[in-house]
Amino acid sequence: MSKPSILQFLMRRKPTQPGADDLKSADPERRGQGLFRVGRTRMRRGETEAALGEFDQALKLLPNYAEAVAARAESLDMLGKIDAARPEYERARKLWAGQRPGAPDRSYLFRQRGRFTFEVDSYELALLRVKTGSFPHLACGNALLAQGHPEEALKCYDRALKIKQNDPDLTALKGEALSMAGRYRQAIEAFDFALAANPKAPETLNARGIARLGLGDLDGANADWRRQLELLPAAEAAARACVALRLADYAAALPELEKAVAHEPNELYWKLYRQTALSRLGKPADSADLLPVDAHPAEAAFQKAVAAAAIDRESARAHWRETIELGPVSLVEVCAAHNELSRL
Amino acid sequence: MFSVIIYGRNDSHGYNLHKRAAISFNALAEVMTDPDDEILFVDYNTPDDHPTFPEAIADTLTEKAKKVMRIFRVRPEQHAHLKNKTHLVALESQSRNVALRRSNPKNRWILYTNTDMLLVSRNPKESLSDILGGVPDGFYQIPRFEIPEMLWEAAFDRKDPAGNLVKLRDWSVRFHLNQVVHNFMPMRYDALGDFQACLREDMFAIHGFDEDMILGWHCDSNLAARLALYRGRVDTLIDKAFGYHCDHTRVAAANNKGRKTTMNSHDRFIWNVSTPYLPNQAETWGWPDVEIEEVRLDRETSYQRFTAGLDRAIKPATVPFTNTSCEWHLFDDLTYDLPHTLPFACDQVLTYPKSTAVMLAATRPDFVSGFATAWRGMGFTGPILVPQECEGLPAGLPGVTTGHFTDLVRKTDLFVFEFGLASQKIDEPTRTGREASALDKRRLKVVEKLFREAASTEADTRPAHRRLARRFIGVNVIYNKYWPIFTDYVGANINPFCSQVLAGSPLPQPTGVKAKILKFRKRA
Repeated sequence: MSKPSILQFLMRRKPTQPGADDLKSADPERRGQGLFRVGRTRMRRGETEAALGEFDQALKLLPNYAEAVAARAESLDMLGKIDAARPEYERARKLWAGQRPGAPDRSYLFRQRGRFTFEVDSYELALLRVKTGSFPHLACGNALLAQGHPEEALKCYDRALKIKQNDPDLTALKGEALSMAGRYRQAIEAFDFALAANPKAPETLNARGIARLGLGDLDGANADWRRQLELLPAAEAAARACVALRLADYAAALPELEKAVAHEPNELYWKLYRQTALSRLGKPADSADLLPVDAHPAEAAFQKAVAAAAIDRESARAHWRETIELGPVSLVEVCAAHNELSRL
Repeated sequence: MFSVIIYGRNDSHGYNLHKRAAISFNALAEVMTDPDDEILFVDYNTPDDHPTFPEAIADTLTEKAKKVMRIFRVRPEQHAHLKNKTHLVALESQSRNVALRRSNPKNRWILYTNTDMLLVSRNPKESLSDILGGVPDGFYQIPRFEIPEMLWEAAFDRKDPAGNLVKLRDWSVRFHLNQVVHNFMPMRYDALGDFQACLREDMFAIHGFDEDMILGWHCDSNLAARLALYRGRVDTLIDKAFGYHCDHTRVAAANNKGRKTTMNSHDRFIWNVSTPYLPNQAETWGWPDVEIEEVRLDRETSYQRFTAGLDRAIKPATVPFTNTSCEWHLFDDLTYDLPHTLPFACDQVLTYPKSTAVMLAATRPDFVSGFATAWRGMGFTGPILVPQECEGLPAGLPGVTTGHFTDLVRKTDLFVFEFGLASQKIDEPTRTGREASALDKRRLKVVEKLFREAASTEADTRPAHRRLARRFIGVNVIYNKYWPIFTDYVGANINPFCSQVLAGSPLPQPTGVKAKILKFRKRA
């Protein structure tokens, strides 16, 4: 067997079959996803009624499982139960749309919404035939990383990089996984490599800034974000606003936030951030509590710091410290809190 | 709400293109209900002397289709830099990007499909605008179903899109047309390029279609791979609409050579895509700095321009018919009926860009003034360049520039050479055996000399911005002594005598002594 053939043989993967462990798991997330995959397999076999049963069970465990709702809708549709299917399709779309996407200045993969079980399942199937393509590995990696599984995502990216060696885009994604896993030094190496190939990649600059901050290098982080701000096109107001907020540069953030609010009037965070910027610039701001109910505790702490900044400097300092302690280093508020503290 | 982006050219891409395209254009317009909705058709690389494809079939389009359609005409000259890199005459990525760049910014959605598709909402009361207006941001596909050729060709009425959609709903059940063909992710369905709906802002963020894909096929799959990365998912609108494709496999299209078909690489453009973005074309996709002509079917049409020009230049006939003759004994008679000939001369130039500069070397003053009047009336803004070597022509006409031939030849985009008798009056009978006067001969000799020089040196005198040969139009060059002269230098078709006009590109001229002798002997 030639070397490439051996490599392909070793990398050959079996189709996704939910292990018995998944179906017996006490973790509803794991069990629900296992049931979904069984349902999908049954759908493909033409056992539509049986598939419906699996999706129903999955939804009992995970009522907001959009993929299962969509698959259930399609199964009903295939059985001719169109009236029952229609609201289910709508429900799935609403569930996906209701999930909060990641910050728009970060890698595209953090802006994705969903559990991606359907996608991972499909890519796993593609890998049965597509032996020389890095794309399914990369897509699986992205799905895993978006769900917060950096170590598993890393394995996918490494498999992709074996096929498409030294690819700067894949390397940047690997850097994201390393960064999420807290391996900042390795992450920075990966981002350096990617940026050497494409120095004008705003998302990679953002990621390196976060990794640098993870290592405590605030100046290095700010330099990357400033460069990112230079590169981002004017049309990407929300992304520009987030970068400016990371820098705690509220004067730069405010006009971008005005545009973002105009573009997405239903997005609560742009209104909250506009209020934040106005407040930090000493301008009159709406006093309404705009913090979403499901906000991260670090975001709540940051807003407390903003409220205290004008009247009680020590309290603000304490809340900024609290923000940093509570939130991941990638959070806009955590980055901003670092910059606020550095100026006190 | 949405901009539909499709492309093509005025050629014969597969079987009965005209019918399926008309069916499709009308059906797409039929499912639009938002005032901002638009069909963007990129007419790519249609020869300059042809109208765009939608213009050619405009009589078969509904008023609504004509109203919502914007045609972006990409000229052969604009494609010339890619000509040697591909075997194809129409490029999908470039076309779709040209339209995307120029799409209505008010529209949230871009819908990529093709000129043989009918989109049928499952709820007959819902338009596609309603559907897209009601779904969240995302990247959506629908499955494509095939319509047997016999059905669409025999039973569809081009101008009855609503009736066609009703028929489709019936056939889909009676003839079991609705078979969903699933595909590997990220393609989700087979033939995905016939319905990909995505956000306009997403398309700008990922820099459009990949313009390195110039060998045909898989542009849709590449887009799906990149949008699947960008959005994470490929969503379906299978609950909202079905797509039906007018099958056209009786005759293979030019880009279909069976197993020998040249294609863009699967591996490179699908299975090894590693980013949604195309940073190398971030600033250039869709040719933002290139002026692309926009043509409309509901206003300032070619017919309106043609008649506007000619109505200014000539008066209606006052007799039922006039006479001329192509009998051989009249070979040397160079008289011709100007009001009859001018429409055929104008017909040759109408499809060129309005900014075209045209060189007009002529003998008859009334031809020059008539042509100049018609030229302006047809909406041309480019100058008419008249060599000062041509004597006896009217001076000071609006839009006419006079100068040395050697200067003007480097500025012109198009040539018109007219071979008439300078002394002919407008009311003289034609082809009755009239002989040329000494003055006529002198003027004709000048025009002939300039013609030979222009045609034989065309490549050397071409303006720097042009890569393709310029077209030559000969007026009064059929069945007279200028017929062989004109066709020695210009590759013209055989035209009816009645039109009086020939046109074509310059033929390669012999360069070596032997070739020149052979040409001379052949001519002799």
